Amino acid sequence: MSPAGVIAADFPGGMRRSDSHEVSQLNELKIDAGALVVGAHYALAGNIVMVEQMPIFGGYAGGLEETAIIDVATTINSFVMLQATWHLDGPIHVRWGVTTAREALAVAGHAARAVEKHTRFILGNQYYTLAGPCTVMCLLETAAQAITDTVSGREILSGVAAAKGVLTDRFSPMEARMMAEAARAAAGMPVAAANVLLDRLVAGYEKGYKTAPGGKTFSQCYDVKTLTPTAEYLAVYEEAVGVLRGLGLTYWDK
Amino acid sequence: MKTIGKRVTVFDVYDRAKTGPKVAENDWDCKIVPQTATALKQKYGIKIDKTRIIPEDEDLIDNLWAAGLEMLETTGVYCIDTGRVIRYGRDEILQAVTGAPDSFIYGEGREAITVVPRAYSAAEAPLIQGGPTGSPCSEDLFLPIHQAYAQEPLVDAIVDGVLQTVMGKDPVPGSPWEIMAVRSEALFVRDAQCRAGRSGMGL
Repeated sequence: MSPAGVIAADFPGGMRRSDSHEVSQLNELKIDAGALVVGAHYALAGNIVMVEQMPIFGGYAGGLEETAIIDVATTINSFVMLQATWHLDGPIHVRWGVTTAREALAVAGHAARAVEKHTRFILGNQYYTLAGPCTVMCLLETAAQAITDTVSGREILSGVAAAKGVLTDRFSPMEARMMAEAARAAAGMPVAAANVLLDRLVAGYEKGYKTAPGGKTFSQCYDVKTLTPTAEYLAVYEEAVGVLRGLGLTYWDK
Repeated sequence: MKTIGKRVTVFDVYDRAKTGPKVAENDWDCKIVPQTATALKQKYGIKIDKTRIIPEDEDLIDNLWAAGLEMLETTGVYCIDTGRVIRYGRDEILQAVTGAPDSFIYGEGREAITVVPRAYSAAEAPLIQGGPTGSPCSEDLFLPIHQAYAQEPLVDAIVDGVLQTVMGKDPVPGSPWEIMAVRSEALFVRDAQCRAGRSGMGL
């Protein structure tokens, strides 16, 4: 989006100062002048500023540790360069293009804990799953990231862009519901217990990357008049909850 | 009493982007960034076990923080438009760390939420920003899709999708249709929030 396009969203009836105004850094540790133009507008308007960046595991950064180091540096940079109110992360796997792969979760989990321990920054993470809506895999990917983000100390979960966020209308609020419920299920869980659960949860879906189901579109997942999920999706959701229950999460039993 | 330093501003950053050291972008991507990250990984002895997705070792957590801080101080940030590096002093970085906001109010009225730092061990769950997260939305379904998210009881704020077309036109960046699309997206989301009875909800 051009700087003019971004700035055009601020108008009476449109974006308010109390909304999160996005500006993005580039991979890795790069910026374009347009982002500085947008940042200048946000600073002078007194807006809430959300600075986004998605470090790439397996990209220029390289391996797991290098990507985590760059993720921490990038997070700090949001507050130095663009006077962020909060940072929206999104470590992504170069091969799969998702934030829910084991390596992407490990980068996110480590970077968040490192920053959480040493600052009072407000941190978010964004969700890109491989599988599409109305599939158990998509919901389990979402749950894995929500558990990671919650137990590593993030404040805001943002999503879900299902099926990598590239296909028209291929998402639904049911994925956001899982993001929220899995976060509630994990909040307060000891880290060691969360790691055992996550290792099993991720192992359960990472074998299926090459055959990940594309899922359904919004209008196939919801009644578009009543805006309610289909019986089929509710059943899929219950199946995913059953898997999470089997891994020891008790949230749905209360 | 120690004088409080001036925080770096986006205007300072722009000036540095015009005067910083000149570097070829390929060298930045393929040498400076990966080599510095690898050197810091070795210096701080950082090793991640990917079966433990969240770190349990406090030394690892501290060393990762120190390495990330040193990474930003050592490399700075590359401006692709000027081909120059924006550098910060350590004191400037630390000034931003300590001076960063530690709360904000997201949304308005009864939907306003005060966002504050939460510890990794907190029993309170994070805030939920629900939505298509920049995924493409068809023009005819943009409003109902966002209303459906706003109606989800556990969704606190909306992260919207992008209109694939506006009035049937491709909203190419830098074109008048982009402006039409951006303003339409904001209006549609506000309408969706109102229809869900949550007009003060953040976006």
